[in-house]
Amino acid sequence: MSELTPRILKRETHSSRARLSVVAAILMTLLAVYGLLEAILRAVGQPPWLIDPLAFAQRLAGLPEGIEPMLLGAIGVLLLLVGLIFLAYAVLPGRRARHIIPDPRIAIVVDDEVIASALAKRARLAAGVTREQVMVVVSARAVQVNVRPTSGIRLEESHIRAAVEAELAAMALEPAPEVTVKLSGSGVVGV
Amino acid sequence: MNGTPRGLNRFLLVLTGLLLLALGAALAVLVAVPSVARWWQQWAGPQVQWLGELAARTRLAPGSGSWIWLVVAACLLVVVVSMVTWVANQGKGRTNILFQRDGTDDDAAVGKVALSSAVAEQSLKAALLERGDLTGVSVTSYDFRGQACVRVRVLPRQGVAPQEVAADIGSLVDALDALLGLQVPVLVSIGSGARSRFTKAERVR
Repeated sequence: MSELTPRILKRETHSSRARLSVVAAILMTLLAVYGLLEAILRAVGQPPWLIDPLAFAQRLAGLPEGIEPMLLGAIGVLLLLVGLIFLAYAVLPGRRARHIIPDPRIAIVVDDEVIASALAKRARLAAGVTREQVMVVVSARAVQVNVRPTSGIRLEESHIRAAVEAELAAMALEPAPEVTVKLSGSGVVGV
Repeated sequence: MNGTPRGLNRFLLVLTGLLLLALGAALAVLVAVPSVARWWQQWAGPQVQWLGELAARTRLAPGSGSWIWLVVAACLLVVVVSMVTWVANQGKGRTNILFQRDGTDDDAAVGKVALSSAVAEQSLKAALLERGDLTGVSVTSYDFRGQACVRVRVLPRQGVAPQEVAADIGSLVDALDALLGLQVPVLVSIGSGARSRFTKAERVR
């Protein structure tokens, strides 16, 4: 195992924030390009396109006059919220829905969806029901298996749990999730 | 494991967030607190007046604008260029060379040996494409902190056990190690694509 592997795994299990960065950069670029246009129009003595930079500065200095107070307040609150969203994205760890399978040679990450579908197949075979009767939800530290039994056929919860836990043990995920099996109270007919 | 500057992304997002937060809070306070609004008008009015006078004083020629607008334009141009650079740095870092070594004089082998990334990519991809339980395979090489790394992304069908796919890829990688005589860091990413999600794969098995 190379010394790079822990870093690679950390990068693969956390979001890079590339998408929001691109959005922020494009917004800033548009604003700057517009400002550039107005500044150059002013520098060469042409009439402004939308607003002259100096007139804009005067309007800004005159605030809160010249604009509906409710509108200005709404703009302020909106900018505040957008700023909070950006800040939250920057500060939160941004874990992706992935688990690590430890291996001495290669770095392995598995999307939670793949884990869920493998566990659903195992639970379905153990319970003897169809695909539609099993739903598995995988999160970082918990696996929830929901089974709707066929009407009239009793299902053993411990049997299903043992099968799912055996499959999870074979996967040896990191972090290891806890299994909960929920049998639905009402069965389905005609499957 | 690509070259996306994650620390820079987060830093610039913090800056953007704080900027918007401060701007929004200032506008809201301006509306809500009349004394702050009075103070702002008294402070900002003379500043703008000074700016206007400066612009009038520094006219390049009668009928044309002042050079301070050119300075403003240059600053904005710098902003545009840096933003474009930021976007261009996302997701880069692909490499074509898996391994490279210069010959030393004492073993009388002067020259250079370079292995193309295609060696690892195509052999792994060819081996994985034969499998029926994978709907998609892509192998790419990245330069991660000066070291070439291979990223294998596979999309198994629904219900396929990921540990078995991983173990098979592990043995392929062991064979590749033996073939190349060196160990390249390999990342295996097992995911689910749209095709594996919507196809009914369990009929056959």
